[in-house]
Amino acid sequence: MNGFIDFLDRRLSGPIARIAEQRHLRAIRDGVISALPFIIVGSFFLIIAFPPFPEDWAISLWAKENVAKILIPYRMTMFIMSLYIAFGVGYNLAKSYKIDPLAGAQISVMALLMTIAPKAIPDVGFVLPMGNLGGQGLFVTMLVTIIAVEILRFCKQRNLTIRLPEQVPPSLLRSFEALIPIAIVLLLMTLVTVVFNLDLHALIGKAVAPLVTAGDSIFGVLIPVFLITFFWAFGIHGVSIVGTIARPLWEVYLGNNAEAVASGQATLPHIAPETFYQWFIWIGGSGATMGLVLCMLLFAKSRYSKTLGKTVVTPSIFNINEPVIFGIPIVLNPIMVIPFVIVPLITATLSYYVTVLGFVNPTYIKVPWTLPAPIGAYLSTGGDWRAIILVVVNILISFLIYLPFFKMYDNRLVEQENEENSVETTV
Amino acid sequence: MRVLFVCSAGMSSAIVVNALKKEAEKQGVAVEVKAVSTQEFGEEVKNGWDVAMVAPQVRHRFNQLKQEADGASVPCELIPPQGYTPLGGPILLKKVKEMTT
Repeated sequence: MNGFIDFLDRRLSGPIARIAEQRHLRAIRDGVISALPFIIVGSFFLIIAFPPFPEDWAISLWAKENVAKILIPYRMTMFIMSLYIAFGVGYNLAKSYKIDPLAGAQISVMALLMTIAPKAIPDVGFVLPMGNLGGQGLFVTMLVTIIAVEILRFCKQRNLTIRLPEQVPPSLLRSFEALIPIAIVLLLMTLVTVVFNLDLHALIGKAVAPLVTAGDSIFGVLIPVFLITFFWAFGIHGVSIVGTIARPLWEVYLGNNAEAVASGQATLPHIAPETFYQWFIWIGGSGATMGLVLCMLLFAKSRYSKTLGKTVVTPSIFNINEPVIFGIPIVLNPIMVIPFVIVPLITATLSYYVTVLGFVNPTYIKVPWTLPAPIGAYLSTGGDWRAIILVVVNILISFLIYLPFFKMYDNRLVEQENEENSVETTV
Repeated sequence: MRVLFVCSAGMSSAIVVNALKKEAEKQGVAVEVKAVSTQEFGEEVKNGWDVAMVAPQVRHRFNQLKQEADGASVPCELIPPQGYTPLGGPILLKKVKEMTT
């Protein structure tokens, strides 16, 4: 058994974890994460615009009349998340190459803006179509950002810069350094968008369409759920690895869902933005360990489990469960790993179909992941009280599945403690 | 003694930080402990810390974090998984002591 675990760790989870640490993937991950606060705050205006109250209440009537105005903060943040993400990815990628991060961020924003053509509107002036700066534009954003920063790096490496006489102050030098790479990127993007009149967003959109569909299917949900607990079983932060690959897709779903709500559509296009995982599956943290914490609080016999249960309950309510994962421990524990992997697969399947069948609204609002799950689920679904019931049911499922495994493990701990006690008394 | 913890978001290690603080208090060792995320680590580690401790669940980023710590000449090691719990104070303090001597 130990040999097998060791084999999996060295041959499987280790190498995959290293792939996730690849430079560009890391820059995308950190770039997307840097934009999350804007998405969280921006998406909150969706709740204000569509308050979870009966339609004839004054506040609902007020919101209905002013919906376009209320949504302006949303339009300038979450609705154009790709703009913020381009800045973040460009910044982080340049930083990883140890070149001026600000230049990397700026050149990336330029490259992204160059993928959309402004339109001249009489009496208004030039107008940017904003749709492609949202979640939809995320794939193009990643592509052009990487190309732009790579060109920046290439020019820097080859010393393709304009040389200035020595008396020029260093602060000026910096702004001249970026001239040639900016010219190259600008020219390249002009060729694509203006000369060849290519709509990158439509092209890439078609190319990734199968991926977007697959990621929103039941297997598209179960595979990342399994992988996340699989990595945690070896004590590696599963979401930070799986999220490196999947997070862009999750943000596309969230952006599309939010946009569907903002534009007044009745049905939301996607089931599985990251918020779905966060509020319905990872209740109490990865592995849905809230149920396990309840097992500890109610049924612990060993001194260790009793003490641990009391110390981990508060962080667990806020979805922080490293103390549970390393404390019990679940890591490399052949008994506890079984429910740890099974529970989320079951609650994910249930939540998926409950959402597909329309019993619970899909999620479209991003709230901080440290909120207690019932509150997070309620807000994230735009105020659907049925989401709270689903959370409670999922906690119950988690509790029932963890219970027999926990009892088995806890009994072992009791035996160990008794042995230690008897050793102490004989000594 | 100034100890810097790093984990994914700086959240879970905040809990472990308390375990270390309590144990240090018990043993009468003066410690200053702070928890940061992997993104913040590179900048923070330059601020005169005595040791840097990496949470076990981000060990796939250990090499990169270690490089950043080396750049600031701060000894940097992985936290043993058994120490990464609210009850792991004694293990943590022992580890910190080993690293500073």
